[in-house]
Amino acid sequence: MSNTPANPSAKSDPAKLAKLMTLNLRVWRQKSPKEAGKFAAYTLKGVSPNMSFLEMLDLLNEGLHHSGDAPVEFDSDCREGICGSCSCMINGQAHGPELGTATCQLYMRKFKDGDTIVIEPWRATAFPLVRDLVVDRSALDRIISAGGYTSVKVGPHAEPNSMLVSKDNAEKAMDAAACIGCGACVAACPNGSASLFTAAKITHLSLLPQGKVESHRRSYRMVTQMDEEGFGHCTNIGECQSACPKDISIDTIATMRREYMKAIVKS
Amino acid sequence: MSNIKLDSNVPAGPNSEKWSKFKDDMKLVNPANRRKHTVIVVGTGLAGASASAALAEMGYRVKTFTIHDTPRRAHSIAAQGGINATKNYMNDGDSVHRLFYDTVKGGDYRSREANVHRLAEVSTSIIDQCVAQGVPFAREYSGELANRSFGGTQVSRTFYARGQTGQQLLLGAYQSMMRQVDEKAVELLTRREMLDLVMINGKARGIITRNLVTGETERHVADAVVLATGGYSRVYFLSTNAFNSNATAAWRCHKRGALFANPCFTQIHPTCIPVSGDNQSKLTLMSESLRNDGRVWVPKKKEDVKKNPNDIAEEDRDYYLERKYPSFGNLVPRDVASRNSKEVCDEGRGVGESGLAVYLDFRDSIQRLGESSIREKYGNLFHMYEEITAENPYQVPMRIYPAIHYTMGGLWVDYNLMSNLPGLFVLGEANFSDHGANRLGASALMQGLADGYFVLPNTLSDYLAKTTFTKASTENPEFKAAEDQVRADVKSLIEAGKKGTKTVMEFYRELGLTMWDHVGMARSEEGLKTAISKIQNLRREFHNGYKLVVQDEGFNKNLEVAGRVADFMELGELMAKDALSRRESCGGHFRVESQTEDGEAKRDDENFAYVAAWEYKGSVTDAVLHKEPLVFEDVHPSQRSYK
Amino acid sequence: MRTQKIISSSVFQKYLMAASGLGLVGFVITHLLGNLLLYRSEGTAFNNYAHGLEGLGGLLYAAEFGLLGIAILHVIVALTLTLKKRRARSTGYSSVLRSKGGKSKSNLSSRYMAVSGSILLIFIVLHVIHFKYGPGIAEGYSVDIKGETARDLHRYVVEEFQKPLYVGLYAGVMVFLGFHLRHGFWSAFQSLGTNSPKYSKPIYALGVALALLLSTGFLCIPLWIYFGASR
Repeated sequence: MSNTPANPSAKSDPAKLAKLMTLNLRVWRQKSPKEAGKFAAYTLKGVSPNMSFLEMLDLLNEGLHHSGDAPVEFDSDCREGICGSCSCMINGQAHGPELGTATCQLYMRKFKDGDTIVIEPWRATAFPLVRDLVVDRSALDRIISAGGYTSVKVGPHAEPNSMLVSKDNAEKAMDAAACIGCGACVAACPNGSASLFTAAKITHLSLLPQGKVESHRRSYRMVTQMDEEGFGHCTNIGECQSACPKDISIDTIATMRREYMKAIVKS
Repeated sequence: MSNIKLDSNVPAGPNSEKWSKFKDDMKLVNPANRRKHTVIVVGTGLAGASASAALAEMGYRVKTFTIHDTPRRAHSIAAQGGINATKNYMNDGDSVHRLFYDTVKGGDYRSREANVHRLAEVSTSIIDQCVAQGVPFAREYSGELANRSFGGTQVSRTFYARGQTGQQLLLGAYQSMMRQVDEKAVELLTRREMLDLVMINGKARGIITRNLVTGETERHVADAVVLATGGYSRVYFLSTNAFNSNATAAWRCHKRGALFANPCFTQIHPTCIPVSGDNQSKLTLMSESLRNDGRVWVPKKKEDVKKNPNDIAEEDRDYYLERKYPSFGNLVPRDVASRNSKEVCDEGRGVGESGLAVYLDFRDSIQRLGESSIREKYGNLFHMYEEITAENPYQVPMRIYPAIHYTMGGLWVDYNLMSNLPGLFVLGEANFSDHGANRLGASALMQGLADGYFVLPNTLSDYLAKTTFTKASTENPEFKAAEDQVRADVKSLIEAGKKGTKTVMEFYRELGLTMWDHVGMARSEEGLKTAISKIQNLRREFHNGYKLVVQDEGFNKNLEVAGRVADFMELGELMAKDALSRRESCGGHFRVESQTEDGEAKRDDENFAYVAAWEYKGSVTDAVLHKEPLVFEDVHPSQRSYK
Repeated sequence: MRTQKIISSSVFQKYLMAASGLGLVGFVITHLLGNLLLYRSEGTAFNNYAHGLEGLGGLLYAAEFGLLGIAILHVIVALTLTLKKRRARSTGYSSVLRSKGGKSKSNLSSRYMAVSGSILLIFIVLHVIHFKYGPGIAEGYSVDIKGETARDLHRYVVEEFQKPLYVGLYAGVMVFLGFHLRHGFWSAFQSLGTNSPKYSKPIYALGVALALLLSTGFLCIPLWIYFGASR
């Protein structure tokens, strides 16, 4: 095999690519759930293509501070796509246009100079707004509380290798367990359903012997909680699996329904 | 408070028997009495979530606090590589003693042997616990748990769940904790920031928090306070840590009298994606495993640094790690690899836009193994790299640079994980105890869970059983005084925000840069003194005013950050002070004055085999050093060599 | 309490939706099979079939009631779900939700099930009035089958489909049937939890094929008659 030839294109030199852009932003501003919200328009200059979407918002906020305006509030933490904090609806798409990507991993090179970008918070009745782009996603915690666990206590347990798990099942369980709890599935769903979130946890635990023991109770309780939180129902539109930064499949939702069926038939 | 006795409370007997002895001797709380005790847990990472779950399961009433919207956001979630445990599944001679030995040696002989031994002992129970929780660890075709070797150890003892081990372990602990929330045994308070510790009759009895949504301050009373608030890497602004990671809770405890130990022990990870612009907010870690197949190099000649790397001839490349360390080559430990990157960049041979990067080149492995084999091994990492940099690492060598990753220092704790303030326990990265001057890969997750699941439930019970508590409520004057102080502090943060011209973020970046330049990979007496005076000036300037727009006391990220930056500005100085007083090189702490003839770190066991525990005395500048001598009974210090 | 919770749960409701939907699909398939007889130019076969069905007597009534029940269930659950959808997002997005593509099953068919469903519902009511309760023996549409006087439904159908309005309406509605089935068929299996990584794709493909087959099968009948191919 020959050596990979030198690549003379500009691709090897981001400095040349880094032409600064000017963007037209329309950002949802709402001080509290009690007050009415509206879009504010900002023209943001000096956006580097190498910035992440959140760094672009940081830049906007620095400018707002300097001009004496209140900064745009948004959630963010790890900024590497694993904590699930960031949550922007970008031009009508949860986490923006890239598949398998959280807002923090979306880079501005996906946008063009002069683009208009509309930024909204997740919208769902079960996700009450806190301020601007920040919403309260504790409903997802309560779904986990209702049964997203194995009821083991801290203490001595059986030697792990006394209970074998096929590699295939372990991989599938991991696929489902990869959920970061960002809520993009809810945000992108035309019905505001949290089925993908709930199903991912039910699937993860149903594939492992440790979780199987209480799978009936779990699926019944988690589904009940999901409904009580006021999330919508799933009509299998499947947009959630495209919005999911971790590519979790709606096959998990089929699993959840299977598990629920078992729960109501067998107990 | 001035007569501090640093008693590590290590049980008598050989290291291998101390923990058993402790458990045999400890006092227990009657199950019926447990619900009479309230315990506050601050932080919901591996240590905090596991402690909350374990304590609630035992019957204590637990109040758990997180600054995030949900406990699952804690930064433990971002740990990639794995968790060590001495199961010896690979039949490669692993044992508790070997893990203990590796950890003490890896920490460059600056950790407390007894604590490390306990850590190694409970490591296997952690795996059992996590598997029982349904953590989807990687498996072999046989259905048994898989292991890999990590961080240059000679045995394969690392358990992993793809590159998301931290996430899966955290979710396991989080789920156990959420079960206790459902049982009403844990009261979960989200979006709360701990801003003060309340001491009553010399014991930690509560905290003051600020509700980050409403801005209201709140008082919480308990019989013990458990701090599990993580490390302080964000003092460098740019690090692999999350945006909200901070030292405020720990620092406020320090100001209430808790000693801060080894603040200068920070870890720098060699393979991160380099800084690309002034607006960058964080650095992304690339798994260390890349060094197994990538070759690190820079151009031999300074004039070549801006050239397209593929145009630089073989004889003009300097594979400096292979040249200097022929036996370990590209696989030298983290601190050695990092320091060498800095060295070549300081010589002006760094590459990339900023000149602060070195190449990690896969050309030869692609040639040898084929692109598909490299893709199979590192596909996701290469993809991530390309997403961030817009460069294709299959065609152009990656550019990497070290970044701050972990802090080994933290609040001083004794064997029971209790600080010098009775009733204040500190777990996980927030304490200083187990990693000495350098943490081994896959050991942080182990420590967080060991502390939370297996150590604290015992040591805290012992404390509660042995202590007589006076009646305390949030109406005690101590609570009122602390809350008033917190309110006044927040108010003055807001007021200062009306006066200056620089934003909080600008101060934050400036502090970070100073820390990185002078208290980073290589530290000199001169640099550290410069850092101290720069930080003092910056702090003065900051308190004179900055630009911060606050529309009301409610949700305001920048206001939160302002408070944290103010604390970092003090902690930064303490780090520099500690680094200055430790005139030796060890682990992640490299003093240029203390190196061997070939530029390697040189420890000074005679003078510095101690834990440096700093006491706050009204201002950080007046901090007083206390020393806890380190005694090595089992692992005898030797000079590390990777030649 | 538990039973009530189960019945009102979003997952159970989807079981109902799916089961009733599949029942209706079964009916539509049978219906088309019968209607295929209309492709024969002489009406004997079709009339024989229609007469035979009527001859089932009680059994036919039972079947019709069953079918009506299933249809009503389908509609009621659909209404509940639509109301729930409103409640789940009380404040809507200001920008239009755009699909990210990829593995999303978001398309006109899946997004507008309520629209296609409503059109089909109205159509079914009109269609039943139109043909089932349309003119019969008394109005002179009679034919002799094995010595018995029976309704000449074939002639009525052929006459009605000489009117461009009806042809257009019937053909048009069948397009919506196709849209409804394209998502509905696959979705029913997904709702019943029978899908898995192995079966999802074939079932989805089968759904598309069935939708195409059923809608064109029905759609061609009025066109076939109108353009005189039956004569």
